[in-house]
Amino acid sequence: MKNVARGALVPLGLLLLWEVAGRLGMIPVDSVSMPSSMWSAGATLLRDGVLLSATVQTLHTTLQGLAFAILLGVAVGIVFGLFPRVQGVVGPTLEVLRPVPPVAFIPLALLIFGFGVALEVSIIVLASVWPILIVTVAAVRGIEPRLIEVGRVLELSLVRRLKTIVLPATAARIGVGIRIAAGVALVVAITVEIVLNPRGLGYEMIVAQQKLQVDILFALILWTGCVGVLFNLLVAQVERRWLPRVS
Amino acid sequence: MTNGIRASSRSGEIPQSPTPSRPAASFSNVGLTYGSGDQARVILHGITFDVAEKRFVCIIGPSGCGKTTLLRMLAGLVTPTIGQVACFGDPVSGPSRQRAIVFQDYGKALLPWRTVWSNVALAFESGGLARSEQRDRSYAMLRRMRLEQVGELYPGQLSGGMQQRVQIARCLAQEPRLLLMDEPFGALDALTRQTLQDEFAQLVAEQGVTVVFVTHDLEEAIYLGDRVIALASDPGRIAEAIDIGLARPREQLATRASEDFQAHRRRLFHLLQEHER
Repeated sequence: MKNVARGALVPLGLLLLWEVAGRLGMIPVDSVSMPSSMWSAGATLLRDGVLLSATVQTLHTTLQGLAFAILLGVAVGIVFGLFPRVQGVVGPTLEVLRPVPPVAFIPLALLIFGFGVALEVSIIVLASVWPILIVTVAAVRGIEPRLIEVGRVLELSLVRRLKTIVLPATAARIGVGIRIAAGVALVVAITVEIVLNPRGLGYEMIVAQQKLQVDILFALILWTGCVGVLFNLLVAQVERRWLPRVS
Repeated sequence: MTNGIRASSRSGEIPQSPTPSRPAASFSNVGLTYGSGDQARVILHGITFDVAEKRFVCIIGPSGCGKTTLLRMLAGLVTPTIGQVACFGDPVSGPSRQRAIVFQDYGKALLPWRTVWSNVALAFESGGLARSEQRDRSYAMLRRMRLEQVGELYPGQLSGGMQQRVQIARCLAQEPRLLLMDEPFGALDALTRQTLQDEFAQLVAEQGVTVVFVTHDLEEAIYLGDRVIALASDPGRIAEAIDIGLARPREQLATRASEDFQAHRRRLFHLLQEHER
């Protein structure tokens, strides 16, 4: 609790300065607003239900995209990790895709999926699968060779070997990849909404900007920051609860 | 190079079920070479010997002579470039539950995220037993190894000697016909090593399992083995194989002090020294 109070000191101080500067006419309130008007704009959004529904939309697509990215990244990562030859064949193709900025696929995804959830999810997957894939390959390669040999000598089936040895041995490291991917996923979700998808927090920002409602825009930005922090905490919590501890 | 090699007791091409007359392990002219051409490195050359069923055979030799590789071939983890390795008459083509291997680095061979009993239960996991049955059997094995008190702990919470006992428990739970040991006590302190040697010798006698035991410790080999095979290095080859006729059960002080023990020790010591040069 003490840490939270200490951490809140700087942002609260800045908001206070901002408010004072706005009231004294030291800053152009028309373009940078002030905390009190942001607060009331945010309260209005909350009362209208816009804030809640936009947040749910954004988080929903983010989680969906992240879930697909985890499935895809872990599955491909394990195959690449266990069978370096497969990576030799398929890897270079993926390496060409990786440096392309995910947003560059937005026009293509729009043609394929049209507006909506699928468009957003596809871009989120394209962006957030990489950290998971890379970390998983490294984690599988890093499994103690002895453990693999134990699995072979006991003639465990491939599925059982995955369940009893490969996944538990790599879970902690894959979890790190997932945390990185979660941050990327939220950023990309909002980017896609700002650029063209008519839903979620990003879309509300663009609407506010077009209506020149600076206070609403600021309220949304600050709210998005809070959502991001909460989302990362949630992912970290799930990871801590569900992934086995390797001591 | 062929002196001291036990004559094969294999009964030829006549098909029959495995009988004690069939060697538990047999190497015929086995060699292993890494690389080719100028870079070829011969690891093992012309290895031929049999291990009769229910015998305790120790393999000793200087480090780097290929004794661990020999054991890994028996486990099916390494394939020879020439010759054939067979177990109970069947050529070894890969790892098998029938051949358990105890690794020296016990810390790496146990699953750190599983409790002690659950590590032992790994041996039952491909058998389709219910979890409770796996647990009962694991605990039965742990009791034999006097480990039942630590069944719910994690390997990381145990001493080295205890961890190695857990690994041995898992390998025995596998009910192997052939137990392969790769310097299992090499990383332990002297006192723990002696305790484990005696415990292990007794377990093996009870279980009636064939053991191939690799060690760099001359005295350990003589103390435990019915037979000691000494390897020479560059390339790894058999220098000598001698039978140890010491009475069982053996006893740390009396056996080691006996004239026969000392004679074997002197002989193998000079032999290894000779090949060292």
